[in-house]
Amino acid sequence: MNTLLRKSTIGFLLLICLPACSGPHSSSALQDSAVITLTYWPAPNPQEIQLADTIVKMWNRMHPKIQVRMQPIPVSQSTEEVLLAAIAGKTTPDVCSNIWPGALREYTQAGGLVALDQFSDFDSIAAARVPRELLSIFKTSNGHYYQMPWKTNPVMMFYNIGMLNAAGVKKVPQTYSEYFSAAKKVTRDTDNDGQFDVWMGERDIRPIWWERLFDIYPFYIAASSGETLFRNDSVAFQNSDAEKVFGFFQQCYSQGYFPRTFFQGGDPFLLEKKATHFAGPWEIATISKFAPNIHFGVAPLPVPDDHQGPVYTSGDYKNIAIFSTTEHPKESWEFVKFLVTAEHDLLMLEITNQVPVRGDLPTNPLFASYFAKNPLMVKFAEQAVHTRGMDTVADLKEIFDAISQEYEICAVYGRKTPADAVRDAAKRCRAIMEWNQ
Amino acid sequence: MIRKMNILKAIRESERHGYWFVLPYIIFFLLFVAYPLVFSFILIFHRWNIVTPMEWVGMKNFQRLFSDPQFFRAMFNTFIFLLIHIPLQIAVALGFSLLLHSKGMFRGFFRAVYFLPVVVSGVVVTILWQNLYSFDSGVLNSLLSIVGIRKIPWLIDPGLAMPSIAIMATWKNVGIYIVLFLVGLQNIPKEIYESASLDGADKYSQFFKITLPMLNSTMVLIVALSTIGGFSLFIEPYVLTGGGPMQSTMSGMLYIYNQAFYFGHMGYAAALGFVFALVILTVVLLQRKVVEAEPS
Repeated sequence: MNTLLRKSTIGFLLLICLPACSGPHSSSALQDSAVITLTYWPAPNPQEIQLADTIVKMWNRMHPKIQVRMQPIPVSQSTEEVLLAAIAGKTTPDVCSNIWPGALREYTQAGGLVALDQFSDFDSIAAARVPRELLSIFKTSNGHYYQMPWKTNPVMMFYNIGMLNAAGVKKVPQTYSEYFSAAKKVTRDTDNDGQFDVWMGERDIRPIWWERLFDIYPFYIAASSGETLFRNDSVAFQNSDAEKVFGFFQQCYSQGYFPRTFFQGGDPFLLEKKATHFAGPWEIATISKFAPNIHFGVAPLPVPDDHQGPVYTSGDYKNIAIFSTTEHPKESWEFVKFLVTAEHDLLMLEITNQVPVRGDLPTNPLFASYFAKNPLMVKFAEQAVHTRGMDTVADLKEIFDAISQEYEICAVYGRKTPADAVRDAAKRCRAIMEWNQ
Repeated sequence: MIRKMNILKAIRESERHGYWFVLPYIIFFLLFVAYPLVFSFILIFHRWNIVTPMEWVGMKNFQRLFSDPQFFRAMFNTFIFLLIHIPLQIAVALGFSLLLHSKGMFRGFFRAVYFLPVVVSGVVVTILWQNLYSFDSGVLNSLLSIVGIRKIPWLIDPGLAMPSIAIMATWKNVGIYIVLFLVGLQNIPKEIYESASLDGADKYSQFFKITLPMLNSTMVLIVALSTIGGFSLFIEPYVLTGGGPMQSTMSGMLYIYNQAFYFGHMGYAAALGFVFALVILTVVLLQRKVVEAEPS
């Protein structure tokens, strides 16, 4: 009885442990040792998967000894969570093309990334593609480059031409005053139930940190002529520009130009319930697919009335990085260079409608026919020069969460003045940074 | 003496068989209860974001906790939820159990129907209520619009969001409390009602003078269970509101989750969890005192 029990328990434990013992190593052992296999994670949306698939197939045909296995980033709440978990579990791919610069500090602190400037041709490759001034914003505080700037989605204002015309708005609003003046005409109650049902604009009012990347953050960059929230790892947004932005959104909600709700019954821009929408170029494909009858245009974000000079915005960059778990850094770097060629940048434009980070987009004849066919994308290509990325300070999620809460209290619910909200947001950000140092 | 040793050996051998039988549970306990418990206690004194090495910070997590207004707000919200949820739960459960206890048609059917939400996944129930509460396309607001009443911002008004969540949580959990009250009602001897009727007591008096006092121990049990359940409020605000509007639905549990898995402050979240557990323990001990003070 005793022996039987012992044997059956050992058998049971072995049964549990056996699958865990067989891992990727056993399959890799079967592979031809002369062939190197790299793993590449692109973003998990259908367009980028298609782009990655096309490029990887080309690479694999041209490089029989270095094969790339494309695997979209596992779907989660955010790519950053997946990558951090992968760094912790040492299951990162060789190359990933969905690196948000805002999370770079966490990846590098964990020793998760390869410094790309260790490769002798990094400077020439990067400089040939990205203007020097723009390239410098991707340098980390230790002086190294861990990311190859790849694509940008400048946040701009989409406007419904039909709705603006119907309301008698002749000029696309460029300043806050013009926006309010148009909003007064557009916002109305169509079914006479005492509540507005058509609005000038709308934002998701829930205090979700990344929602602020499409309102407060690009509007602050625009209002401040290209400043970001931090300078030398210190809070730099406690100023009148930030107050103007908070004040702008506060007026939008208090006057009813924006609904104090979040929509679940479909995108209000596609349903023609709002006249303006702040988004990146990916929205063009969405509108064309789901609301092909909407006649729309794209313009820079509205700015304060006294604004001078070009209008900047947030670039919403996604870059390419090589993870330090790679056993083939040189081959990975070769693949990264292959991803960023001009021909593949053209493919990116054609397949994803996203803008490659290139200085020569408006001038390179390779892209001319694409922009001729897609005139709206010209606006994004022009705007791409006037974009700013994300500060590489630690704990950006928590910082944006704090800003988001102050924005909600001040702008959405009007319980604080813009000056108080900006002061409190700055105070909370300082506390977060101090705590996390 | 030798006989005694043989007996002891026999007992030890039979015990050994017992150990083999409980081994799977011991492994489970060590892996999923003891290890996380010890690890989270160690975490309390560290800063750790899963990817970087742990850093000893001593009592700093507690220093932060006691100066963190967000945590106190989350605790306050949890108590607000309990204040709305527990009386509502008791009133609704008692009302339905009285109806189901009386002789009526389809009693068995309704008992099953009221219990159904209890066995349905919390996320499914929450998504269902999200569609009911939605401002623009929700069923409730559509019905209100039909009868000419303005749409209500159920989850958008900071004053309405937590009561809306409490209503939903009551709907989800009321089935189990109906069953408890039904058991309590069935345990009240019919003779008491008969003699009360003979003495001229009407239904109203019978309810307040007999039913309610006789259900006292059930009531205390339900308060205790609702309190513990209420402290673990998480899925509803996580799915419905994300803790907003204006932090009005940020529960203690959701705040701990955000700190741990959203912001990667594992050590701070462990400290929050430790204090939160102490609060729950205090409340439960107080309730136990009340139960022990109850006359049998």
